[in-house]
Amino acid sequence: MSEAFDPLVLEAISLTLPSAAGPVEILRGLDVRVRSGERVALVGPSGCGKSSLIAVAAGLERPTGGKVVLFGQDLAGLDEDGRARLRRGRVSLVFQGFHLLPNMTAEENVAAPLEIARTPGATETARVWLDRVGLAARGRHYPHQLSGGEQQRVALARALACRPALLFADEPTGNLDAANAGHVADLMFDLVAQTGAALVLVTHDETLAARADRAVRLRDGRVVEAA
Amino acid sequence: MTPLSLRFAGRELRAGVRGFRIFLACLALGVAAIAAAGSTAEAFRRGLASQASEILGGDLAFSIGQRQFTRPERDALAARGRVSFSVATIAMAQAPDGERRLIQMRGVNTAYPLAGQVTLQGATSLQAAIATRDGVAGAVVEQPLLDRLRLKLGDRFVAGNLPLIVRGVLMGEPDRLSRGFALGPRVITNIAAVEQGGFLAPGLPFGETARLALPPGTPLEAAKADLKRVLDPRVRVRDREDAAPGIHRLIDQLEYFLGFIGLASLVAGGLGVFGAVSAYLEVRKPVIATLKALGAEGALVRDIYLIQIGLLAGLGVAIGLGIGAMAPLILGALVQDKLPIPALFAVYPGPLAKAAAFGLLSAAAFSLAPLGRARSTPPASLFRSDLSGTLKLGPEIVGAVLAAAGLAALAVATAPTPLAAAIMIAGVVVAFGLLWALGWGAAILAGRARAGARGPLRIGLANLAGPHSAARTASPAIGLGVALLAAVVLIQSSLLAQVSEVAPRTAPALVFTDIPGERTAEFDAAVARAFGQPLTPKTYLREPFVTGRITRVRGAPVDPARLPRAERWAYDSDISMSAIAAEPDGAGIVEGRWWPAAYAGPPLLALDVKAAKGARIKLGDTVTLSALGRDIEARVAVLRKVDFGGFGASFPLVLTPSAFAGADLRQVAIAKASKAQEAAVIQALGPAFPQVNVISVREQLEAATDLFDRLALAVRGAAAVAALAGLLVLTGAIAARARARTREAAILKVLGASRAQILAAYVLEYGVVGLIAGAAGVALGYAAAWPVVVKVFKAQWSLDWAGVAALLAAAALVSGVGGLLAAFQALSKRPAPALRAD
Repeated sequence: MSEAFDPLVLEAISLTLPSAAGPVEILRGLDVRVRSGERVALVGPSGCGKSSLIAVAAGLERPTGGKVVLFGQDLAGLDEDGRARLRRGRVSLVFQGFHLLPNMTAEENVAAPLEIARTPGATETARVWLDRVGLAARGRHYPHQLSGGEQQRVALARALACRPALLFADEPTGNLDAANAGHVADLMFDLVAQTGAALVLVTHDETLAARADRAVRLRDGRVVEAA
Repeated sequence: MTPLSLRFAGRELRAGVRGFRIFLACLALGVAAIAAAGSTAEAFRRGLASQASEILGGDLAFSIGQRQFTRPERDALAARGRVSFSVATIAMAQAPDGERRLIQMRGVNTAYPLAGQVTLQGATSLQAAIATRDGVAGAVVEQPLLDRLRLKLGDRFVAGNLPLIVRGVLMGEPDRLSRGFALGPRVITNIAAVEQGGFLAPGLPFGETARLALPPGTPLEAAKADLKRVLDPRVRVRDREDAAPGIHRLIDQLEYFLGFIGLASLVAGGLGVFGAVSAYLEVRKPVIATLKALGAEGALVRDIYLIQIGLLAGLGVAIGLGIGAMAPLILGALVQDKLPIPALFAVYPGPLAKAAAFGLLSAAAFSLAPLGRARSTPPASLFRSDLSGTLKLGPEIVGAVLAAAGLAALAVATAPTPLAAAIMIAGVVVAFGLLWALGWGAAILAGRARAGARGPLRIGLANLAGPHSAARTASPAIGLGVALLAAVVLIQSSLLAQVSEVAPRTAPALVFTDIPGERTAEFDAAVARAFGQPLTPKTYLREPFVTGRITRVRGAPVDPARLPRAERWAYDSDISMSAIAAEPDGAGIVEGRWWPAAYAGPPLLALDVKAAKGARIKLGDTVTLSALGRDIEARVAVLRKVDFGGFGASFPLVLTPSAFAGADLRQVAIAKASKAQEAAVIQALGPAFPQVNVISVREQLEAATDLFDRLALAVRGAAAVAALAGLLVLTGAIAARARARTREAAILKVLGASRAQILAAYVLEYGVVGLIAGAAGVALGYAAAWPVVVKVFKAQWSLDWAGVAALLAAAALVSGVGGLLAAFQALSKRPAPALRAD
């Protein structure tokens, strides 16, 4: 697949969600562009719309207004299955809560996106990636048998095994203790560098944000500073 | 389905079936009920088929009324195989002390029985026991006659004028099932004795049956057709394939009724299936969203869960089939000796396949919609847990509707009476819809009412109004179970009241048959003396009596086989008729005018409208009747509605007396009498009118009441299966909220609520659910039972208040106890861990 386009272009994105107390404006006219291999940190206080921006940018949520263009393709013309197909093999996500599939082993979790994309040799690739995150011996373990740090390393392996061009990471170290957080962050930046993937990292940890190529600061659903 | 969806479904199933116990139980219960009903019915059908020759008493049976077979007919029969002859009639048996009782008397020849054995006590051989010795014929009699006439083996009694000696107790006859209902204890003697007793004179109400055992290898149909050609067309021919049609119909109806209860429990349990699948998919929502975030399309997600639900449905159905196949085997082993019908209990694939089809279709009907929601679960729910899939028209909804339609179609197609089945199924669908709407309405009302409530009441109402309200999930299921149970209870209680209370008031107490036509005045006087009061038209009615059948209508022969089964009765067997001059009281004329009392012209006929319906007979049509061995052509002058259960001239056919001019007809009388008058007249008629049979309607009603009582328990037990399905759904609803309730109870405790307040809130919540479901169920049961009692059975409606109150109380109590248990479960957990776990 030729990647002549920027992986992600967000233009005038707004998102308003209904609530019992009336509509809530989450995002208010955001413009963000992420280039190939670029590492961008989205920084801001809780509730500023960082995670919502990831959901919209990854095509998991439709914006109320504006345009999301992933690899040159405007998401507005795609239904949910179409967006899933577009993500397949090119976009990956890592979540604060890991979101491993609880009834699948670590190896199966890493193989799952490859299997969904019908990539041959999914299991072998999964083993290689588990080895790369230092969990070769834990392949047959279920998520509940792993520590938080281990679970997030499995999630990282799962996200990168299909060699995506764009990785979204939503507070990937938010649920981890300091030692594990540092280890996972190192691993993530190393692997992203090795694969050449672009990274969109949501965090409120300034140290972590500083490791990105640039930071986009959000407040009340608006970009207040784009470095 | 793809290998990928199968692989992922297999991985998802690793968690086991813990959340699916109610799902499995709901499916297994309905399938087990249908499979057990079908297997039991099949066991009876096979049992009957295996003993068809014994039940019929041969390969072919030929019956004729009011005369014996002629010599040429006997020769024709004897030429084709071994033949036994038997005659049957009713008679009054009298003990030496004057005690009298109506009996069902049978005379058999030496060849009887051709197949099977007569079971006796006190005698070893039937033929030896019934032989005539020293001028007195022997008889084997049923125990109730011995008890009633205070007789023992070796004692003498008379039947009409025929002296008989008891030589054995009759325990069973191989051909009893093919002979139908008996008006009194059965007595068997030899055929010559019955003839000697004067019971076989032309015109008397007796019948003769010849049973033929064909040489091995003779084709049945060919022999039947061959003999039909040489015998009188009025001879009724039956073969071993159709030995007991009444019993077959009964088995078909019973199977359908029990199967219908199974089906209703599948529908009621369907909410349990729906609830379990919805709850499971709700728990799996993060997994579904993650799969989508990893690039899975909606169809793949749907297939992953469709395969799991399909496998679990297969497991539920298999459990149900196992129980349904085993239950009749176990029951059969326990009660085989006590069964009135032969049964071959075994595992029959046919009924099991039908039950499996019902189970799988119901699982599909109730599971596919939640699967549709799973398919549309937005991946953004990973970020916002309140997001859920929406139900849109898609393949899943279409599939659910098709499965529901298939379920209804299968139920109708496999029913013995498809129209009745269609009405019953439509009733279940409407009832279910109403109960569902009521549940939603109750939840909305609870939501409004909570504003003005305080404390536990407010908590209970809030839960009732909430998104997981048991009013919406459990109450329709419980309501449907209660409705079925209520319908059964109300129908049974009304019919029981009809036979035990209403009928004795309105029907005659006594029926006298075979009153000699030339001694009617003497007979009336004897009855009046015995009653100790003068006879009035309100209490005593006597009319001529003949039996015969309609053979031609508008000049064309009637073929009963071409008439609807329910309307054949007036054409395929002899029915009662009379000759009445003046219009009787309560004639029930619908069309036409009764003839003048002195009418002496060509025969006219007053015909019951239902009898007329079969051959579409209209006023003015000519009808040919076969009676007293000759054909009578009459013109229909009156169509009337005969009240067969009431006190009146209840003959489906009444002719002008001119039709029987010159014949000295025997007469029949009906009378209202107290129990004492009844006993007095039976005794009093003995010396002067030994040949007059006295049928006690009271005794017949008592026998019917007894039979009803025995059936009632079994039928109610079966209907309770549907109520059990409701209970399962309630359990499912309680279980589905267990975690949330534990957390809620913890929060309430933190806020200072006492245990009693929390208990009260939950008991109130579920008690209300039970009360709503119980009241709605009883109302729907009433709506279903009333037309059955009043329109179908033409019985008087009587409401069983005690039964209704018991059902209502039970529904509220069971639900309330469910709430109590739920509360105890929630309160048994310490608040801190429950709060931390969230």
